[in-house]
Amino acid sequence: MTKSTPESQSAQQIDYERYRIAAKRAEKATAVARLVLWCVLFIGSVTFMMPLYMMVVMSLKTPHEIAVSSVWAWPKDLTWENFQLVLTNPNAPFFLFFRNSTIIATLSTAGVIVSSSLVAYPFARLKFRGRDRLFILLLSTMMLPGLVVMIPTFIMYKYLHWVDTFNPLIVPAWFGGGAFNIFLMRQFMMGIPRELDEAAYIDGASHSTIFWRVILPNSGAAMATIGIFAFVYTWKDFIGPLIYLSSPEKQTLELGLKTYQALNQERWELLMAGSVLVMIPLIVMFLLGQRYFVKGIVMSGIK
Amino acid sequence: MIYHSISRAAGRLSLVLATLILAASAFAKDPIQLRFTVWDGDISLKVIQGVLKQFEEENPGVKVKLEPIPDYNVYHQKMLTLYAANVPPDVAMMDPGHFQALAAKDAILPLDPFIKNTPGFDLSAYYKPIVQAHSYKGQIYVLPRDIAPIGLIYYNKKLFKEAGIPYPDGSWTWDFKPRPELKEKDFVWVCQQLTKKDNAGKVSRWAFSSDYPELLARTLTYSSGGGYANDNEHPTQVTIAQPKTIRAYQYASDFMNLFHYMPNSTETSGVLMATSEQLFASQKIAMYENGIWMVPQIRKDLIPGKEGFFDWDITLFPAFADGTRSAPTGGSGYCIFRGTEHPEEAWKLTKFMAGPVAMTAMAKAGIAQPAIKSLALTPGVWVSGPTTPESQKYPANMVATDQAVPFVRFEPSAYYWPSVNERLNSGLDLVWSGQSKAEPILQAAQRNGQNRLDAMLKDEHLSPFNWTLGILTGLALVAAILLWTYWPERNIRYSHREKQESKAAYKFISPWLVGVAVFTLGPMILSLLMSFADWDIITPAKWRGVQNYVESGVVDPLFWKSLTVTFLYTIVAVPLGVFTALMLALLLNQKVKGIPVFRAIYYVPSLASLVASSLIWRKIFNPDNGLLNAMIYGQNGTWLGDTLSRIAGTPGKHVDWLGNEKFALPGLIIMSVWFAGGGMIIMIAGLQNIPQHYYEAATLDGAGVLSKFKAITLPLLTPTLFFALVTGFIGSFQVFTQAVVMTQGGPNDSTRFYMYRLYQNAFESLRMGYASAGAWILFAIIMVVTLIQFRMSKWVYYEADTK
Repeated sequence: MTKSTPESQSAQQIDYERYRIAAKRAEKATAVARLVLWCVLFIGSVTFMMPLYMMVVMSLKTPHEIAVSSVWAWPKDLTWENFQLVLTNPNAPFFLFFRNSTIIATLSTAGVIVSSSLVAYPFARLKFRGRDRLFILLLSTMMLPGLVVMIPTFIMYKYLHWVDTFNPLIVPAWFGGGAFNIFLMRQFMMGIPRELDEAAYIDGASHSTIFWRVILPNSGAAMATIGIFAFVYTWKDFIGPLIYLSSPEKQTLELGLKTYQALNQERWELLMAGSVLVMIPLIVMFLLGQRYFVKGIVMSGIK
Repeated sequence: MIYHSISRAAGRLSLVLATLILAASAFAKDPIQLRFTVWDGDISLKVIQGVLKQFEEENPGVKVKLEPIPDYNVYHQKMLTLYAANVPPDVAMMDPGHFQALAAKDAILPLDPFIKNTPGFDLSAYYKPIVQAHSYKGQIYVLPRDIAPIGLIYYNKKLFKEAGIPYPDGSWTWDFKPRPELKEKDFVWVCQQLTKKDNAGKVSRWAFSSDYPELLARTLTYSSGGGYANDNEHPTQVTIAQPKTIRAYQYASDFMNLFHYMPNSTETSGVLMATSEQLFASQKIAMYENGIWMVPQIRKDLIPGKEGFFDWDITLFPAFADGTRSAPTGGSGYCIFRGTEHPEEAWKLTKFMAGPVAMTAMAKAGIAQPAIKSLALTPGVWVSGPTTPESQKYPANMVATDQAVPFVRFEPSAYYWPSVNERLNSGLDLVWSGQSKAEPILQAAQRNGQNRLDAMLKDEHLSPFNWTLGILTGLALVAAILLWTYWPERNIRYSHREKQESKAAYKFISPWLVGVAVFTLGPMILSLLMSFADWDIITPAKWRGVQNYVESGVVDPLFWKSLTVTFLYTIVAVPLGVFTALMLALLLNQKVKGIPVFRAIYYVPSLASLVASSLIWRKIFNPDNGLLNAMIYGQNGTWLGDTLSRIAGTPGKHVDWLGNEKFALPGLIIMSVWFAGGGMIIMIAGLQNIPQHYYEAATLDGAGVLSKFKAITLPLLTPTLFFALVTGFIGSFQVFTQAVVMTQGGPNDSTRFYMYRLYQNAFESLRMGYASAGAWILFAIIMVVTLIQFRMSKWVYYEADTK
């Protein structure tokens, strides 16, 4: 216990003073550091956004303007005609592209969510013959490059007359939905407390009921995560539609943009307008559902 | 009582009526729909649509669904693939270079039977060369609609007048050096006269350009007596490295890079950013070699009376000094695919579209020279006559197209030629940009092409694939897997309850089991089997043993090249991407104002469509006004810029990223960093999973920022890093879209990623067996790399595992 002598009191005061000064300095340093960080981030963001900015700017310029003005200059007049031209090209129906992408991505995502949950459940909760070895099999298919199966599946679809239909892009999603998604769901399901299961079991629930009434409702976050991943992946898929879709009215946005490029080789103002159109849906969806993107990945706990 | 019987009668009557109506509608003819593919572009399409309407009027009950596939190369790949996939069109546009591939595989029908059954049909009215070019083994497979001699030169009369040169009448010649004594009769002298340089010595106007460099080289080759193969229908010798061809190619390169009569591709796509036609219309070039099909576009750009108009005409490409005149040609027609459900109607459509009505329409629009000689010479149809409207008086010398026909020379039409040709074309970019002399490139092309040719000729004599054996092998493999899965538990007895649980579990995983069998295991086994075969999925499979693998490793130059390319890309881009993602994540995990906005900004590019991104990055890589070079070179050049230019082999000029062999791949790697945002999110998740109390404890112990990072962040982040690296590696082996959209594998195959090469082998050349072997090789490599990564993962720190 320090004595409250006049000398020690002033010594304490000096210490306290020193502490306060040091703390203030530390605070200032942190504030400066934060400012520097903010500037670095800002410059970085500007650089990162530049390609997109260029895209938007070029999509609103006339070809003459593009050749003449600098890439950074905002267009003198907003040339909305470019977009009109893009949307009214009869050989590249952008509305149909959008519709097709939506159909394929939605049905695919639904399939992934449903079937990966179904398949993950027994791996997470049930005991069955061959479970561990089957799980290893599951994990190893995660590392399979699509290349190896691409050609034979094409041959299979050829005999089924499924080429130039949406089926090859949707049906596989309903049969397991991808090893990675099953794995994620399983990890997540294993984190659901068993007490819930047991409570339901005592009440006479079958495994099926436990799945539908207990596990599934609690897996919302994981389902949202893999749903988002699956949706984005399918939406951006290029090689799948390239191989399986040939008629323009069946093409997706990604493939359609490439088709459009083939029709308008050097017309940059149109190509950029088309690019902007193609990018808008995903970006809008991202802005609306930002929280789920990051939160979901955090929850999946990559191991 | 009566009510009962009335209602019964009414019931019976309505049943009878319904049946009658159904029967009637079944008998009513559904319109026959014919699918019709063409590669015509916008302008030609309009004409075709008009003609099709007339066809439908003359043939009620037949509807034609026009399916344009405007990219010429994509079109021909698609034709093969569509047929292989069982969804071919009924009638398709076709040309001499590609029809044999279909005819030899019996994919299209010979037209002789149809011609015989059509009274009054006169095949001899068609130009002989184009009919011959469309015949295989004595039968005609494609009914020609047009012939398109490419040995034509459009010339700007105004510029000729200004230079005091009389207009060319087609009697001029060319030689490997200018002959000024012949004046305007020497093509090269004319080129000299018409090339204008500005005060700084830079060319302000070129004398000449062909639509693409190879066109000039080809024309010079043919007319100076060179060639590419020893026979057109069944070549066995590649002759691209004969002295005459080499000399012609070198001369073409010199035209661009030495004499500057003609802009090279860097100049056209970089500085000028225009097609050759646009250069002609804007008077940047005085003469322009191409086929007659450019006329509609030129007529659009040069309207009499409007600004920018000048007098122009066409003439024949000069003959060689010894009088030989020969030039490449195009030409096309229509064919009928086997498997059409309506061959008679398909023939009617073919006959109509390759008949006088359609030809006249195309001719009047200036698009295509009719394949029927008399039509081509009828005034008012193709050559101008009294009824020709003013706007179509240009070019006046249309008859040159008829004069050119006797001198046309087609490329080999053998069905195996396209894949040989592919080998002949690689490396030519270097010749056109002047970076290499023609001789070494053509010698290499000769070797590769001949190898390919020999291989293809050998392939004609292989034994059929033994599918029974294959299926048995497959079943054996499946049995092995099942054994491996269930063997350990073979002795375990399950109680009744456990059996129930097992049964329920299998019900749940049944979709996955089916999926694995149908979409994973089955295809894997099939592709393993296929890798030992030669199969185009149209004709029966042939046994090739390990030849596919041998060919990959030993014969195919693209195999090692694409493996190297992919490997280089992976080894640089993946660590770079993970590092960037980590840095970004660290920066963005701080509590600074507006962090969510920043996170979104850095993440959005990875959501961007790959195709769209590839397009915009192509612009960024533009040597002269692209963003990247603007930053590197600034206003007056920088040290970095000059060093890069020197490395690129073009000191003094801005680096042409996508056009330069050494810089295309680095460019794509730089582009991949832009997508690092995706990995960043995973890193952030990893960071947020680190419990805060570790940091607090460390701060209490007096740890600084750096040591906190080294002792806490890094170790606990290693699982995430490992995951990112492994998935990154697997993913980068499958890079594809950028190659397709931005570089098509060039320049000189420096961006021909493995996946892209596989795709080309499988879906463009239809070499499914060979591609399957390639896929398995890649699979093996990936397995090895992943296993190595796992072995070396001692550095990954796992917390108390809760499995």
